[in-house]
Amino acid sequence: MNILGSMLLMTMMVGVPQEGAEGKVFPFPIDVRDFDNGLRLVGVQFDSPGLAAYYTVVRVGARQEVDEGKSGFAHFFEHMMFRGTEAFPAEEYNDVLRAIGADSNAYTTSDRTVYHILASSRSLPRTIEIEADRFRRLKYEKAEFQKEAGAVLGEYNKSAANPFMGLFEKLQDTAYDVHPYQHMVIGFLKDIEAMPTLYDYSLEFFDHFYRPEYVTLLVVGDYDWAKLQKDVEEKYGDWKRGGYVADIPEEPQQNKPREATVSWPAPTLPILAIAYRAPAFSTDRIDMPGLDVLSQVHFGSTSPISQELVIEKQWVDFISAGATDQADPPLFTLLTRVREPDKLEEVRAKLLAEVERISEELADSDKLEATKSRMKYQFLMGLDTADSVANTMAHYLSLTNDPETVNRVYELYDAVTAEDVRRLAKKYLRSENRTIVTLTQSAEVKGEE
Amino acid sequence: MRWLALLMTFLVFASGRHAVGEERNTVLLKSPGNPLVSFRFVFHVGSSQDPPGKEGLAALTSLMLSQGGTEELSMTEVMEALYPMAAGVSAQPDKEVTTFIGRAHRDHLEPFFSIFRERLQKPCFDPADFERNKNQLLNFLTKSLRSANDEELGKQSLEWMMYEGHPYRHPVQGTVQGVESLTLDDVKTFYRERYTFGNLQIGLAGNFPEGFPERVREDFKKGLPSGATKAAELPNVARDKGLDVTIVERDGADSTAISLGFPIDLTRADDDFYPLLVANIYLGDHRSFNGVLMNELRAKRGLNYGDYSYIENFIQDGGSTFPVPNVPRRQQNFSIWIRPVAPENAHFALRGAIFYLRRLVEDGMSEEDFEGMREYIMSYSKLWAQNLDRRLGYELDSSFYQTGSYIQEIENRLRSMTAADVNRAAKKYLDRWDFDVAMVASSTGPLAEAIRANAKSPITYQTPGTAEEVLAEDKVIEVLELPIENVRVIPVAEFFEK
Repeated sequence: MNILGSMLLMTMMVGVPQEGAEGKVFPFPIDVRDFDNGLRLVGVQFDSPGLAAYYTVVRVGARQEVDEGKSGFAHFFEHMMFRGTEAFPAEEYNDVLRAIGADSNAYTTSDRTVYHILASSRSLPRTIEIEADRFRRLKYEKAEFQKEAGAVLGEYNKSAANPFMGLFEKLQDTAYDVHPYQHMVIGFLKDIEAMPTLYDYSLEFFDHFYRPEYVTLLVVGDYDWAKLQKDVEEKYGDWKRGGYVADIPEEPQQNKPREATVSWPAPTLPILAIAYRAPAFSTDRIDMPGLDVLSQVHFGSTSPISQELVIEKQWVDFISAGATDQADPPLFTLLTRVREPDKLEEVRAKLLAEVERISEELADSDKLEATKSRMKYQFLMGLDTADSVANTMAHYLSLTNDPETVNRVYELYDAVTAEDVRRLAKKYLRSENRTIVTLTQSAEVKGEE
Repeated sequence: MRWLALLMTFLVFASGRHAVGEERNTVLLKSPGNPLVSFRFVFHVGSSQDPPGKEGLAALTSLMLSQGGTEELSMTEVMEALYPMAAGVSAQPDKEVTTFIGRAHRDHLEPFFSIFRERLQKPCFDPADFERNKNQLLNFLTKSLRSANDEELGKQSLEWMMYEGHPYRHPVQGTVQGVESLTLDDVKTFYRERYTFGNLQIGLAGNFPEGFPERVREDFKKGLPSGATKAAELPNVARDKGLDVTIVERDGADSTAISLGFPIDLTRADDDFYPLLVANIYLGDHRSFNGVLMNELRAKRGLNYGDYSYIENFIQDGGSTFPVPNVPRRQQNFSIWIRPVAPENAHFALRGAIFYLRRLVEDGMSEEDFEGMREYIMSYSKLWAQNLDRRLGYELDSSFYQTGSYIQEIENRLRSMTAADVNRAAKKYLDRWDFDVAMVASSTGPLAEAIRANAKSPITYQTPGTAEEVLAEDKVIEVLELPIENVRVIPVAEFFEK
């Protein structure tokens, strides 16, 4: 059975239209269907003949890991979802994916877990069958659960040598006191090591979050909308709504600057993170889109501070800035790596002075317009495959469950003024709202410098 | 001037062909419905041409073109010009070729092309850009590769050991002493001698206007010196002995990354490549549960995060499961990548990987497994070139290897392939014991001793609940006799030094 075949190869690449209808930035038609059990199905008509991306967006992530000792569990559970059901044990599930020639995987972030399958449109009914089955009737033995915990530990280990991981672990732990954003998505090492003992908890986790009201199905590409709705209703229709809502603690307001250091046990250049508590994602206010624009205008590759420190003085090898769209307040983080370790203090002073400056001075209006142009083109140029469109849409669906959010966000970007940028700098980039973490090479490291 | 490439219309698959002498091919993929234009300019210039003692020269030269100013515009001005277009020019240097990749919206085609051509034809070789780019390479070698990414360190160490005395030996980014020795004059000379029109393959895809490709070609023909240079001579590095194990001693390596492999004498240009491709995907499909290694070592044993195998140079494209195009090589190797394992399981993992490879070599794939793989690869390979830019990359690679379009070639070959073809190819190319092995570890003495002595290496399960049949197989693996030829412990600081 060669489902895709050579015709598909010849036809699957097509255009990235300029802009959507009525001036909307998202250029593709959208279909939406809500089912009685709370499940939402979203379709995006993308011109990829014979091909469709099938995404299951679950609105659970590190954010809901409120129980003591359970950090990293949403990600761990993502792994368990590949361990099969009675109807399709893991090997059979995989045999189906192989037979349809799918590219399949999953990922977890602070706010969502996304399962994605890219395969032929003809295989959509089969995809729906195996996905509905595992989301409703996942079943694994204790032994399989324990084996998977080993793989997760391996996933932690593969990144453990990376100093950026060490820096972010410390940053999140320092900046948050009670909110689960305190830990990285992969979790604290001690919690990962304890995972094999949590079989019963895993059943509870599935029961709480793998429910239709937490899930949006997203199909992007070539599909028959009527047939899709029918197939989804048939396979997911009697999936029972849950009722669980995690009691996510609200992070109290920060009222004084925080600071921490990491001594890294291997050769590294110093890395500096200056982070500020930023607003939660919202399309009602311009704050979060405004900070996105700010990050590009004032800290992007052509900003005065980047030009000075990266290109002219060459004290650092990059500067990045920004906050992730998150359901609860994220961190707006300035990140840089210092090329000359003895310049660390000066770099820090320069960045803090720049934060002060942009809270007082208006951004250059040409740069503001160039930034808006850049953001729009970057967005449109990224929408060049069914998979990349699905990824973008999954991001917004996880935040609001509303496919129109993407258009609203870009309307807000368009509306951001230089005054907004200055006001937002003043409002959020304040010292009492700030956490600074510095990572430097431990004095005990042998050899290099 | 004769056009050697087919000017493609939408829906027609391009097929570029090599030309002789100056007229290397041009690959065009015209797609009127697409508002983007992709540029992939492949220069037959790579790190295999770095002069001895100047390792890193090809990479640094490529950075000076992609991350430097031009005669007209400073680096800052180039960045300012590209910024509102969200466009860029990146260099992808590799061992045989260096590819300059750019993508612009059709709204910006002319201003983008003007910068793209300036960068490649009229770099200004500014001393400040030189310092910045040189530091970037040095920091990569000393602060990233040697200390921050044990998986990459394992892979690069494997090539460092496997290709001793060979132009593929050093990382594309060079060696520490090689990069330190580079001068701006070295870069200028290398550029002048190597960045010729005869060394260039032009790739364009998307919605370019009528006459644009001809204009681009003429412009580069005028703007670059003519002539082509010779590729580096590649000696034969095959050995015929046992395992040559190198333990890369790195303080702070809490888990052990392992890469092993041997050179193989085939590329996409060979008939046997295609059945071997099937055998390899069956053994170790990159980041999927289709592979035997992944299922046996990760899924059944929880040993680590992943276990894969390769029959050609494979660099993952971002967070996807697909490789980047345009890293072709005239000589390839077979390799197995075992992602970091707990140190106490390193010896077992090495044996385990070889055990499952041997099972493939000795028992082969069943008819049923073969049919499953054939179906899978027929469909899955179509996903490798989902957008025009990647497809252009694949077409350029097909031109490098002088084959038909790679993905189409796979389909054509699979149609008439049998399980016997696959099993014969696996036996012919993989029935070997002369592995180079690189293991990145902090505590090295006992590991070296155990491997040298072929000591029993029972797995230490981090989790309970292993299936009985797996435990039974463990008993065979833990005593698998490996023909050890050599075991060395080398401190990480000695790698990539000179």
